[in-house]
Amino acid sequence: MEMKRKGMKNRVLFQQEFEIQGGDFVNAGESSCKIRNTLREIGINSDIIRRIAIAAYEAEMNVVMYAQHGTMKINVYQDNILLIIDDKGPGIENIELAMKPGFSTATEEMREMGFGAGMGLPNIKKNSDVFQITSKVGQGTSLEIKILLNGKNG
Amino acid sequence: MAEQTYFHSIKVDKAKCIGCVTCMKVCPTKAIRVREQKAHINYERCIDCGECLRACPHSAIIPLTTLLSDLNRFKFKIALPSPVLYTQFGQQSMPSEILTVLKEIGFDHVYDEALVCEMMSVATEEYLDENRSPRPIISSICPVVVRLVQRLFPSLCGNILPLEPPREIAAKNLRSETAKQEELKAEEIGIIHITPCSAKMVSINHPESMAKSHLDGAISIREIYNKVMMKLKQEAGLLMMQTQTRISGVGIGWAFEGGEIRGLKYSNTVSVSGLLDTIRILEDVESGRLRNIEYLECLVCPDGCIGGPLTVENRFVAKSNVLRLLRHFGGKRRVNTELVQKLYKENFFSFAWAVEPKSFPPLDADRGVAIEKLKMKEELVGKLPGTDCGVCGAPDCQTLAEDIVRGEAKPEDCIYISRNESQGEKKWRKAR
Repeated sequence: MEMKRKGMKNRVLFQQEFEIQGGDFVNAGESSCKIRNTLREIGINSDIIRRIAIAAYEAEMNVVMYAQHGTMKINVYQDNILLIIDDKGPGIENIELAMKPGFSTATEEMREMGFGAGMGLPNIKKNSDVFQITSKVGQGTSLEIKILLNGKNG
Repeated sequence: MAEQTYFHSIKVDKAKCIGCVTCMKVCPTKAIRVREQKAHINYERCIDCGECLRACPHSAIIPLTTLLSDLNRFKFKIALPSPVLYTQFGQQSMPSEILTVLKEIGFDHVYDEALVCEMMSVATEEYLDENRSPRPIISSICPVVVRLVQRLFPSLCGNILPLEPPREIAAKNLRSETAKQEELKAEEIGIIHITPCSAKMVSINHPESMAKSHLDGAISIREIYNKVMMKLKQEAGLLMMQTQTRISGVGIGWAFEGGEIRGLKYSNTVSVSGLLDTIRILEDVESGRLRNIEYLECLVCPDGCIGGPLTVENRFVAKSNVLRLLRHFGGKRRVNTELVQKLYKENFFSFAWAVEPKSFPPLDADRGVAIEKLKMKEELVGKLPGTDCGVCGAPDCQTLAEDIVRGEAKPEDCIYISRNESQGEKKWRKAR
């Protein structure tokens, strides 16, 4: 599902993959935390790290809340960072509706835990430069979140 | 590892240090290494939290605060005690008595910082009302929190409340007033904070939001404790008659966690104390989890400033003492709100400049090289035992791996590796 890339500029410089367990609220957020530390070590600008951290956290929480299992992959390229989140979950029936701020299918329990404000996907989109979502009902959902690195410090 | 003690508040006493790794293990920024049986602090990474000072079993970590004997260089000395001081001398001593005693141990004038805390509540509300984003706004009271954000959460620098803390505001006001009243030059006046922690010393010697602090030093509660205690005992009863200082109940509440948010009109505020919990909540803020919170009060000492490493009374008794004082003085604001709003508009409370990120350096300045080093580091981590024993002189295996790729340590520093090597197992090193 990954976007096709050509030439040296699009070579993956660094890749990390994390498993996300559905329903595991205890360890939720760990993958996004690790991603943040990794990006710091390779000198990515703190504002970009914040955008990635927010997008990664929201995406991770969606997997934890709705799916049985998922993976989060981070690819670092010369001029951008790509986050790919694939899950085995219920899928999204109406993506357009799901992207609407405030729309949520979260259960009462989840809302009590402070989740399910319906801002997850809109927030991911807000923090990414390119955002793609594909979903099949009964199979799962895939997100591709691209954040551009501008210049040397990006 | 150049030691630049001039703007740090903690020093290793090399004569007392036996290289036991206790301090290295508790350091939240992994700033300590043990080399040749002595602890070394990397001051680039140190945030002056004082965890090492608390943990050291050999009293080999020394706080570098102002001494009473340093005061002689000033013609006129003003004590500006943290409200924590009022909680240190048992149930019988009232703040006004403690302030009076300070005048008998070498100060010419005293001022209740708690009064300014009330002003800060009003100023903070003004700021929150005027600036609707970002959220949450993070308190700038604790100098360690400011430094923690700069180094570990640089993207949150814009969330720090850009108003100076009460101790600075009080000192700013006191200097101009006193110079007028006593007909003194500004530099003849010494304004000294009485502090529960050494971190204030750093914010005085090396402020992050202005060129020069309004304070001239910080004396630890420990330094003056015996003298104050003695006078309180000798003059019990007499003191009450002499003093009529105005004391603020709201401000006294700032001595422990939640003081700041209790004084605010908002209900969606959060307070956190303790270093690990502060780090955890800042991680949540960085993930965008707490956007619905208006104000976040973080204090890195357990239970807030009453848990400071340079206090004497244990923090549970201190807390009981604060609660008693709160009941006595009441929690009502008595400050002139309109005056504070006017001062706020004149930027009287504002930072001179915004707090800048000070991220730790990446593994390499060149991103390509940094990525190579990161891969090397991950490979190394897989080969290290993962026991985090600290014998190599780094706090854990991850950090040793990082030191190795930065060229600051060798794989053989790990005893597991050097032992295996001596048995002829040099395979993995050759593979590198």
